[in-house]
Amino acid sequence: MSATLEIRGMCKSFGGIVVADSIDLDLMAGRVLGLIGPNGAGKTSLFNLVCGVVKPDAGSVSLDGRSLEALPTYERARMGLARTWQNLRLFPSLSVMDNLMLGPRAYSADSLMDVFFRPSQIRAHEAEARDRALDILERTGLSPIAHSRVQDISFGQQKLVGVARALMNEARCLLLDEPMAGVEGQTYALIQKAVRDIAASGVAICVVEHNVAFIRDLCDEGVFMFAGKVLARGSVEQLINDPHLTELYFGT
Amino acid sequence: MDYVFTILILIGLFVILASSFDLVIGHCGLISIAHPIFYAIGAYISAMLSKQYGLPVPVSILCGGVGALLASALVAVPALRVSGDYLLIASIGFQLGLIELAKHFHEIGGAGGLTNIPSFLIKDFGRESYVVLVLVLAALTVLFIRWLTQGPYGRMMTAMRDDELAFSMLGRNAIWVKVAVFAIGSGIAGIAGGLYAHYFRFLEPDQFGLLQSSAVLTMVVVGGMRTTMGPVIGAIVLQLMPQVITFFNLPPSILGPLQGLLFTGLVLFFMFVRPQGLLPAADLWVGRKQQGDAGQSAKEARS
Amino acid sequence: MFELAVVSQILWTSFATSSYFVLFAVAFALVLKVNKVFNFAQAGVMTCGFYAAYVGVRILNLPGYAGFMLGIGGGVAMSFVLEYFGFAVLRQRKASAMFVFIFTLIASQFIAYAVMMIFGTWPTTIFASMFWPVTMVGGIAVSAWDVPAIAATVVVLTGLWAFLKYSRNGQFMLAVADNADLAELYGIQKDRILMLSMVLAGVIVSIGMFLYGTRAQVQAAAATELMLFAVAATILGGIGNIWGAAIAAVVLGVVQNSSILFIPSAWQGFLLFAFLFFAIVLFPRGFRLPERRNTLKRLAVAPQALSDGKGH
Repeated sequence: MSATLEIRGMCKSFGGIVVADSIDLDLMAGRVLGLIGPNGAGKTSLFNLVCGVVKPDAGSVSLDGRSLEALPTYERARMGLARTWQNLRLFPSLSVMDNLMLGPRAYSADSLMDVFFRPSQIRAHEAEARDRALDILERTGLSPIAHSRVQDISFGQQKLVGVARALMNEARCLLLDEPMAGVEGQTYALIQKAVRDIAASGVAICVVEHNVAFIRDLCDEGVFMFAGKVLARGSVEQLINDPHLTELYFGT
Repeated sequence: MDYVFTILILIGLFVILASSFDLVIGHCGLISIAHPIFYAIGAYISAMLSKQYGLPVPVSILCGGVGALLASALVAVPALRVSGDYLLIASIGFQLGLIELAKHFHEIGGAGGLTNIPSFLIKDFGRESYVVLVLVLAALTVLFIRWLTQGPYGRMMTAMRDDELAFSMLGRNAIWVKVAVFAIGSGIAGIAGGLYAHYFRFLEPDQFGLLQSSAVLTMVVVGGMRTTMGPVIGAIVLQLMPQVITFFNLPPSILGPLQGLLFTGLVLFFMFVRPQGLLPAADLWVGRKQQGDAGQSAKEARS
Repeated sequence: MFELAVVSQILWTSFATSSYFVLFAVAFALVLKVNKVFNFAQAGVMTCGFYAAYVGVRILNLPGYAGFMLGIGGGVAMSFVLEYFGFAVLRQRKASAMFVFIFTLIASQFIAYAVMMIFGTWPTTIFASMFWPVTMVGGIAVSAWDVPAIAATVVVLTGLWAFLKYSRNGQFMLAVADNADLAELYGIQKDRILMLSMVLAGVIVSIGMFLYGTRAQVQAAAATELMLFAVAATILGGIGNIWGAAIAAVVLGVVQNSSILFIPSAWQGFLLFAFLFFAIVLFPRGFRLPERRNTLKRLAVAPQALSDGKGH
């Protein structure tokens, strides 16, 4: 089986600080890969490189065999790449529902021609997106707060909205940046279930997470990153129990 | 009576200008104050086409709108490719540079101004008809912008203003949205320019400078950004206020600066004392009629 | 057709006249670097500096040096007012960049209109005459204005450079420019430093306006165009690079002034806008020398044993 997302020879440094040092990584459909490593190891930077937020010095990314290199961020998203952000980046001026409504790969109003000349198509599109959003909100238990402002809901719920918004993309590959940081209780279980369900539907998932328990519960495999390098790949159990990696993680 | 008609027409034109400017600066969050230059482009194109080439006035007004739309893209595409901040400087450079340029072109009247622009409607149907035309178009503009900003496109502009990076990660093209909205707003201003030209029948480059910019900006800031009625109220209030000053019979050397002082002073006052304007915008975007289940659950959520 | 004497004369004169352009550009670039504001209100500061000197010399009949001091006082006072009642308040309110920018623009317009109300729209100069005695140096006419103007500019630039490099406040300024929040954590009073850079810029532009106003006629709206020139130079010089802005200002000044050789003088004013537009379209990030390699290398080296990618 070939990989959904292929990263080859990814290099990037900022004024001498290396955040990616010839990284090769494959994400497989239906599998959840955990990215582990201390702060500053280059985990989030790798996401930024994959999404095209930051331009790499060298290296390539392809999704389902199609190269993403020349594409700006929004086109990568339209090809089926979705992500969440460490600091959420929800739209505070929009309700939870409207945050989700912007998520589909093809948005109703992407074409101005449609906006002006095909109102019926816009309406159909909007109705379709609304149904999908309602469905996702239902599954993630967010229905009761669908029309709240995002700053009026709990932090855990905001994280969940971030994941839900990324789900609207029907992505082939989903990158989750610390989805569990600061989340507890029922929401924790909801996010966990959501991620499992998505993987089961054949999406390739990559998770950056500090919560070891979550990584262990959820990820099929782990990758240990340090100073912009992939040091080890294996089962989460292996990585966690490795004394060298533990030493690097906590620093000595 | 003509005096009243003229004021009504000016109010109508400034409602169009302020509303379309609010679309650009308020709804889309694009920093540019060069709106009057697109008004000028529309006015000059329309005037020249009808005067020199004998095109029917409505057609030349439309051409003026299209010309302003294209010119705005010419400024926006290179500037926005870099970053949003550059649009402002590029557009000011474009505005002042074009005014400077116009002063040197004798074909379009130069610094002395373009005269004898063909009139429209007035000869056949009287000034009232032009007043009706302008006010109807002003109302249509306001309704159009309301329709656009409360639909899916408005949702898109709101999200882009909030967080451009997250916006593009969802697959939305921020630069295209900005260029498109800037062009729509400028195109509308161009049409208003044509309407101005064929009523007043005289254009001069200097009237589209920074004074005009601050006047339109004042209308939006004082009225309330991102509201339907804010720019309308702003335009009416700020169009009537200078009229009051003209009753004092001041010499023109004082009158001009006094008006400028009034406009800029009002913006400063509002910026510090009431930044949200007369009509504050809601901080949550609400589209027009959220249909079906959504509307239902909104009610449930509130109860 | 261009005789050497004519060309070198024009080059010299345009070099001398670029002295005030340099000062305006450096002040603009300094505020942009430290305060992170495209400070269009600089035009207002320039206007105040000029008219304070004008009042001193032409109305109060004070000697030139007193007018000079008054001019600086005027510019500094306006800088203080803008920072204290304007920028500081907006900062505290966390106003958006757009809001701050509109403030600078409107404030400069407000000042221009206020000055028009007081002094009228008629152009004036600081001294009754703007003609300066000329000495011939090797076939080039050097006016009594040229040398002091260039000297003043060099003194200001050297002073600014020394201030930023050696004085504590200057170093604080660079720290704030680099990362204001971090600087604050280290105990630097951000607001005081931002005020200082504003005031410093006020001093610099006032000196520039004194030079300009002793050589050319000024009216209330003139400062806007002079400032746009500074904006173009700042963009071309590379944003955040004060000395780049100074060099760009000299180049632009010489090009604009010597353009009289190639284009009709009526079009000279238009050249400024062409610069501005092309600066943005063609060199949005300025002319940049290759960045010096930062020697700060990440020291941690991944252990060899683990890099086989299999773990243990």
